[in-house]
Amino acid sequence: MNESQSDELPLGTTPAFANMHKWLRRGLIVCLCALVLEGAFTFPLLAVWYGWPTLSLQEICTEFERIRFSDESRECIYPYPLFGPAEGAGQTTARDEWGVQPRPQYQAIEYRELVRRVEARRARENQ
Amino acid sequence: MSSNTLALGGTGNLDEHHRQSRQAQWQADKWMMSGALLLGTAVFGIFGLPLFLRGLWLQIRAERSGLTMRPVIVTLIGYLVAVDAALNTIGWALDLVAHHTLLARVFLMAWGNMFDAGYFWHYNELWIGGATAPGEKSWEIALLPIVFSMRIAAAIGFLQMKRWGHQWLIVTCWFGVVAWAGYIANMTLYADVRYTGVVFPVIGWWLYDIFYITPFLALPYLHSVNREIFSD
Repeated sequence: MNESQSDELPLGTTPAFANMHKWLRRGLIVCLCALVLEGAFTFPLLAVWYGWPTLSLQEICTEFERIRFSDESRECIYPYPLFGPAEGAGQTTARDEWGVQPRPQYQAIEYRELVRRVEARRARENQ
Repeated sequence: MSSNTLALGGTGNLDEHHRQSRQAQWQADKWMMSGALLLGTAVFGIFGLPLFLRGLWLQIRAERSGLTMRPVIVTLIGYLVAVDAALNTIGWALDLVAHHTLLARVFLMAWGNMFDAGYFWHYNELWIGGATAPGEKSWEIALLPIVFSMRIAAAIGFLQMKRWGHQWLIVTCWFGVVAWAGYIANMTLYADVRYTGVVFPVIGWWLYDIFYITPFLALPYLHSVNREIFSD
């Protein structure tokens, strides 16, 4: 690298590492943009996948709790008492294959599946 | 400085150049700090990005005009590791102390069900609340104060071109390597808990989380930069 090229290097970058620093800079910009896009779109996309705005956030919370603990009678209490016990403390309904490597028995929740669950329950109740 | 070519006729000119450079850097930093604060909140990040990019553009423009500015890669690393630490902190602090809020019980559950059931399986069943997956709580308690808070402090010193900022960024970024290695090993050992009944398991988690490798990108630079540019 001649002197004029060396003069154009950023402060602190020596010619030996100029190429590496250039690629690191590009990688950093990719990470920055990706983190911003993830941060911005994760919450709304999750909300839509799990049923909002058809379901309220509290209804989604209730459905999660029922699936998690395999108990259709559970309700998401909100606001939760500040010094109350953990909401799941002492529960006995959750289903797992217990062992040194526990394996949960709930199924993955498909797109808008919680909406269908709530509607099916309402239809049963109205019969 | 890439274009530090001003004709400096005497100390007066040098002082003036120094004053103008500091002013331009502060002007750019005000935009970038505002942007980074929003970026660190995740949900408002989309509003923070234009502010951050404007600050970056101001810095590059000032450098091209001949002023002595902080290297762009130092700026990117400093702000990005701070944002990375802030994003990690938000999620884990929410789980650690706000696990019974509706926000946590909807969005942490949703994220858990989609990518990592460590945030779904038996959630809010431990007396301490929050994630119940083996080991998860320990990582939160260890890494929030030791890695992420310290990394944000180090990033501030690094952006100020302080030697301690450079040194502590190396330390906290290597902490990050330990954290990733240990965390992934833990997830793998308890993969049934973490990935059974998950919408996008394993590959989904990696695609989502791979962009948190910023501290790893920082390390080669931190070890290869001429450290004389950082002052006591």
